[in-house]
Amino acid sequence: MFPILHIGPLAIQSAGFTLLFSFFIANILVMKFSKNLGTHAEAIENGLLYGIIAGILGARLGFMLKNPAVFLANPLNLISLTPSMLEAGFGLLTGILTIVVIAQKKHLPLWPTLDTLSPFFIIIFMGIHLANLANGNAYGIPTTLPWGIPLWNAIRHPVQLYGFILGGMLLVSLFFHTKFLKTTGFRHSGVLFSVTAIGISGTSLFISAFTAEKVLLGRFDGRQLIAFIVLLGALWLLYIRAYPGLKKTNAIISMGSNLNSKQNIVKGENLLAENFHIRRKSNIYRTEDVNQNPNTQAFLNRLFELETDLSYPDFVNRLKAIEKKLGREPGNKTRVAMDLDVLTFGADVFSSAEKQIPNPDVLKYRYLGKLLAEMAPDFRHPATGISIQEILEKMPDKSQITELSEVEDGIEG
Amino acid sequence: MKKNTFIAIAITLVFISIIWIIFSPILFQDTHAEADQQAAHKGFFAPSFTLSTPEGIAHSITDYRGKPVLLFFWASHCSVCKATMPKIESVYQEFSSLGFEVLAINTTNQDSLSAAKAYFQAQNYSFPMLLDQDGTVTNQYLIHAVPTSYLINPDGKISNVIIGSGISDGFLRAQLNTLFMKGEE
Repeated sequence: MFPILHIGPLAIQSAGFTLLFSFFIANILVMKFSKNLGTHAEAIENGLLYGIIAGILGARLGFMLKNPAVFLANPLNLISLTPSMLEAGFGLLTGILTIVVIAQKKHLPLWPTLDTLSPFFIIIFMGIHLANLANGNAYGIPTTLPWGIPLWNAIRHPVQLYGFILGGMLLVSLFFHTKFLKTTGFRHSGVLFSVTAIGISGTSLFISAFTAEKVLLGRFDGRQLIAFIVLLGALWLLYIRAYPGLKKTNAIISMGSNLNSKQNIVKGENLLAENFHIRRKSNIYRTEDVNQNPNTQAFLNRLFELETDLSYPDFVNRLKAIEKKLGREPGNKTRVAMDLDVLTFGADVFSSAEKQIPNPDVLKYRYLGKLLAEMAPDFRHPATGISIQEILEKMPDKSQITELSEVEDGIEG
Repeated sequence: MKKNTFIAIAITLVFISIIWIIFSPILFQDTHAEADQQAAHKGFFAPSFTLSTPEGIAHSITDYRGKPVLLFFWASHCSVCKATMPKIESVYQEFSSLGFEVLAINTTNQDSLSAAKAYFQAQNYSFPMLLDQDGTVTNQYLIHAVPTSYLINPDGKISNVIIGSGISDGFLRAQLNTLFMKGEE
């Protein structure tokens, strides 16, 4: 094969270069996906980077712990820049632990973060197979098939290419289902990650049969069995993430009205109470129209946290029915009798054609942020894990809002 | 997707996987025996060769069965090689009594023989220098860059291929410690 790339006077080990390059591409795709999904791109990027660094340091440390005599003889070996003195298992462990610690510290929500990382897992899977092709590792068993490749004294199954091509097909299907990394394409968080894990473990299970170097457990291939266990786990995960069953969801919605607003806000609350269990509600605030249309009267706004066992589409339809009952004219943005907007729906993170959940307005409009901080001071953004206090601090919108009682005091005084 | 459809697909997938796992060892026979072949790759037997020192003493790789051997491909114009060889010498001093052998194979067809000889003698290395005059062995071992090191187990199988400066004294000591400790058990 071609273990070395000669670029002028530089001889680069192509396997290592391939892995680095795939990490680079994976990172770009994850950043793009993260921005489109609204997850915490910066924290995810840092987590990956620190994870890799910690993984390499951990691998060296692991090698040292296994071979203490080497380092007692020459302690400088600990920091020598040679790529060979590494212990993979220990490195993997420290890398993963570092990522877990960073994710915990940043309060990164598990499932949306793993969904965001889906392209990362696929690209790294492809990169590993390409690297193996470059240095002739993980070679296949001999074959008489016309597409066999000559390697290590035999015509062999190009099993590394199988992995690379099937990984590429997973990637294309990911692009297709996410409209080129624009949405998760699935309603529930964790579904995309589960499907990715099924794809990768299924592919490994399939192609392991063609590899020559097998780690035998009894008469079976150990790697195949591991892939099978991962596959079972991923299927189970997909089942519980995609079909959560009858469970209560806490949804946060905003209510707004600028037409008979005082009466409508009260009527709206009554209708909500008829349909849902109201867990929490904010005070009523008066805000200017966010579109700054001079013909639009100021709004009264209030937030509610509702408990529902409806699915998201049914929940939205129920809210629409309430809007209609109170005389909402669709399309009329200046005279709004009742406006009910979903801000968050449980821990779900998704975007469909007409709607993104959590609602991006939460990060955009001060009045929503302030009401949210008042009603639910413990609120963390379901996609990024950032607290509502930090969201308010970083919000560009600095407009003033006043509590309704203060407005009335002003009028009376 | 309907829940029942999903369950049906999942069960089918699991079923196919189980069939595949059961039939893999039957359809694709365990090919460990083929590692009896020679190839310049980890897990295969080291390709056999015979080369001579500048003094004309022939060394054959098959003579070294039963001992761990380091094949170190080098050239006198390669600074990494020249930085590495003193470290190999120190490891060799330490482990040669236990049976460790080093063969420093000069890629003579891409080097100046006189420069290589002068360097090697000046450094007073105690392991032999072999001359690959026509590059046959260099080709056999798929050398794309120097230094490249092959660590060969006593059973004649290649245990590590290290390209470039990865062949540090620490790495060698770790490998040899493990190997000789196993032997004592």
